[in-house]
Amino acid sequence: MAQALSNEKRRRLAGGTVENRSSGLAGLIEETLPKAIIRDTTIVEQHIREGQFQRSLALVTGFSSLLGGLEVAYEHYRGSYSQRIMYTPVVLSGLLALVGIWGAFNRRVARRLLPVVSGVMGLDAVVGFIFHVRGIARKPGGWRIPVFNLIMGPPVLAPLLLAISGFLGMVTAFLRQEEDLGLDRQTTQSYGSSNAKPNSSRLTPWGVSHEALTLEQDIREGYFQRGMALAAALSALCSGFEALYSHYKNNYKYKIQWTPIVLTPLLFAAGIGTIWSRKIAHTLLPIISVLAILNGAVGAFFHLRGILRRPGGAKHPIYNILYGAPILAPLLFAASGFMGLLASLLRRRD
Amino acid sequence: MKEPLLGSFKAKPEPGEHRLGPIQEIHVPMRKYSQDEEVDFCIVGVGSAGGVLLQRLARAGFRVVGLEAGPFWNTERDWVSDEAGSYKLYWNDLRITGGKNPLALGANNSGHGVGGGSVHWAGFTPRFHPSDFRVCSRDGVGVDWPISYWDLKPYYALLEKEMPVAGPAYYPWGDPHGYTYGPHPTAGVSNVLVNGCTRLGIGVSIGGPVAINSGSHADRPHCIYRGFCIQGCKVGAKQSTLVSHVPDAINYGAEIRDNCMVSRIEMGPQGRVTGVTYYDPDKKEARQKARVVIVCGYAIETPRLLLNSACPGWEQGLANSSGTVGKYLMAQAGNVVMGRFDELIRMYKGPPANSLTEEFYETDPKHDFARGFAVQTVGPLPIAFAKQMMVAKGAWGWGLRRVMMDYNHWAPLGVLGEILPWEDNTVTLAEEKDQFGLPVARVTFNLHDNDRKLINFATKKVEDILIAAGAREVVQEQRYAHLVGACRMGSDPKTSVVDGFGQSHDIPNLFVCDGSILPTQGSANPGLTIQALAARTADYLISERENILEGRPFSRISPPVRHDLSPEGTSGRGVPRLKGTALKVK
Ligand SMILES: Cc1cc2nc3c(=O)[nH]c(=O)nc-3n(C[C@H](O)[C@H](O)[C@H](O)COP(=O)(O)OP(=O)(O)OC[C@H]3O[C@@H](n4cnc5c(N)ncnc54)[C@H](O)[C@@H]3O)c2cc1C
Ligand code: SF4
Repeated sequence: MAQALSNEKRRRLAGGTVENRSSGLAGLIEETLPKAIIRDTTIVEQHIREGQFQRSLALVTGFSSLLGGLEVAYEHYRGSYSQRIMYTPVVLSGLLALVGIWGAFNRRVARRLLPVVSGVMGLDAVVGFIFHVRGIARKPGGWRIPVFNLIMGPPVLAPLLLAISGFLGMVTAFLRQEEDLGLDRQTTQSYGSSNAKPNSSRLTPWGVSHEALTLEQDIREGYFQRGMALAAALSALCSGFEALYSHYKNNYKYKIQWTPIVLTPLLFAAGIGTIWSRKIAHTLLPIISVLAILNGAVGAFFHLRGILRRPGGAKHPIYNILYGAPILAPLLFAASGFMGLLASLLRRRD
Repeated sequence: MKEPLLGSFKAKPEPGEHRLGPIQEIHVPMRKYSQDEEVDFCIVGVGSAGGVLLQRLARAGFRVVGLEAGPFWNTERDWVSDEAGSYKLYWNDLRITGGKNPLALGANNSGHGVGGGSVHWAGFTPRFHPSDFRVCSRDGVGVDWPISYWDLKPYYALLEKEMPVAGPAYYPWGDPHGYTYGPHPTAGVSNVLVNGCTRLGIGVSIGGPVAINSGSHADRPHCIYRGFCIQGCKVGAKQSTLVSHVPDAINYGAEIRDNCMVSRIEMGPQGRVTGVTYYDPDKKEARQKARVVIVCGYAIETPRLLLNSACPGWEQGLANSSGTVGKYLMAQAGNVVMGRFDELIRMYKGPPANSLTEEFYETDPKHDFARGFAVQTVGPLPIAFAKQMMVAKGAWGWGLRRVMMDYNHWAPLGVLGEILPWEDNTVTLAEEKDQFGLPVARVTFNLHDNDRKLINFATKKVEDILIAAGAREVVQEQRYAHLVGACRMGSDPKTSVVDGFGQSHDIPNLFVCDGSILPTQGSANPGLTIQALAARTADYLISERENILEGRPFSRISPPVRHDLSPEGTSGRGVPRLKGTALKVK
């Protein structure tokens, strides 16, 4: 965030206001951390509030897509790529990861290419979801024995988890870059008049209907707390459901395996609650989100330990990663927490 | 019973429906040839090799009939996931055993019914090593093959895709290569092997190579790890030619006559065979005329049939001018070494074929014997385990009961050791007759010095592995596995029965293609090699189409590899593999 720091002066000059600072998590931070850090976090927070974090979110998109891609690569390897379509999420995640990282440095890529790849990723995720549903149907007993076949069949919600990075990529496309200060003044002023011509330097990813414009404008300016919270909630649900049955396969041998199961409904509720309540957005959501992130980190540690404890341990790394605890899955859970946190820092229009 | 959520599973089977698993069905009515019609090929025994041949020849447009002594299984109806209930998968007819180290015959040896031995095999599918084809020139023992590893290699790769074989993306031994399907998860016994080997610094291949689906493959589901592989795999995850090749063969117009026991091969006037005589399901004698007869009856039944077909001019048996029909029978040393662990192992869980090491496969100058062995996971179910414990510990009565109560604490590992081909290990005809009045086979088996040294060393090594893995007590049972040989191939008609394509040296239109043609056996399970040889023989026969149809002599030229003859649904699946040649590691 060195970039952000150097922008602080510009922002002050341009008269960027910081409203409502002492509420929720921000307030908490202000009271407990030293000044220098507070200044940095304030800037980051402000960037997020105003939708000026295209670079960062592009990176986050790239990174989460990389995680998801690696996860699906070895999960499908376990399924032996027995159908050609099983390669698509691997290829697309790799592509999205590249485009995401590229988009962090190139606005055109972020606005033009990223939404296209993200959209295809989302589509592929839905196709994958259908195939996984079908996969369960093809198992002996199919959906007539739902619990068993859900547990033993292809992970039904896992493809949707990949759609989340697609979603993040989509959002990224509409955002402003961290240093886009002059621009956003202008657009903010023109907002509200329905036939306002979009700023000439603004690249519209697609159609220019009124609704789309309004939505796009909202995202550009960081007014999409509800959307992001909903995405966090859904992502938590998918990843929590995965944890539920994967840990069930292991008979909940360790008590700590319950923690993501307990956190999932809370994060889900907080995410959904945010749609109606500003209060939840500033209290419950950030707290649960931070817990989810920590939980993901702890989970990743335990999963790694589990892999090393397998027969052959580090001597057979590929095999043991393949069949050990899914090393990246907890990080995907943490990603839902990250989205929740992001949502709590965003603005909303009432 | 409570109704399942969306109604009952499946209504009564439709008439004519033939089920090969929960989702695999054969629907087409089978083609029927009349007995007077001279078909192009008559295949005796639709087992591992027979199934592959039948499928390829049918796909290439030939008129093919397969005669199979056993039934054409409807797996949903006929098979049970039960050890005692699966005895009918084996060739249970009378056979006589003898020699200084007699083989246990009866069940657990060879198959009976469409799919043959591939129905009850565990599914281990390692390739032979390049050295296996040059045993005599490299190590001065046994005999060289008339073909090399490189002749067979494309067929290994092809069959690994067709079966398909699951295993690691990089397999380091022999000619290094990778597998089409990803490796399987491990269960208790594999964990013991992996732990033991890792602690002793021995390389180990985890989760394959096995011909068991690790992901679903067209209409064959993936493995569900219930461990009834040797009982036939009702799921259809484990390959048998019954589920992998036979449906395609029938689609392309092959006819299979099940419950038809071939009693003799008929010789015609010009030193050529004209067809076969068999007992139909009603035990009535019948005939089938054919331009070419291919015998695929496996290591005991093939020499028996050739010997039983003796006729004027061929008093020693068909294709036996060399006198080698029935000689050089081999079995692999299959000693099972069992370790008792304090923790639960649950050996019944998951496919018994899962992990192995070929670290000791090759001749090692440090050893006092030639050739080597592999160590593999095995998983006897309670009846087999009781027999093993009876031999290994002399357990009986109450003692056996106590041992059996401990079943879940034992981890068995199998030696798979190369026993060399010896002339005095034979299949001959006995005085006794079977239900059709045909003389049964007498099997004579003796161990030689090299074999005994190898077995001793191998069992000690496996004991070390088990102890390194934490076993408190180690016992072993001497066993043999995988019969091969007795109609061996070779370049010299004076010392072998068939050439490298399975064509008999004596009779141009009589072929043998099954485990019996192997000149040596390596320490790899033979099933993949047998099926790969069948695919190669099929390519040869297809490339000789004109000569076959016009009754001219064959060219004996290596055929081009036909990649277009794989069963439906073979291509477009599987993981990218590492092609090992450049990466060869020692
Ligand atoms: C318990 C067990 C486990 C095994 N596990 C493995 C393993 O893991 N890996 C491996 O590679 N191998 C394994 N094998 C060995 C493998 O099954 C055989 O080597 C292989 O199936 C032999 O193939 P084949 O084509 O030569 O003969 P088969 O597959 O046995 O086919 C011969 C067929 O011919 C029929 N037949 C014979 N005579 C006549 C006749 N006169 N008329 C009509 N039909 C006849 C028989 O009924 C049979 O169906 C195992 C064997 C056993 C017993
Ligand atoms: S463990 Fe797998 S291969 Fe063996 S019988 Fe069961 S499903 Fe078939």
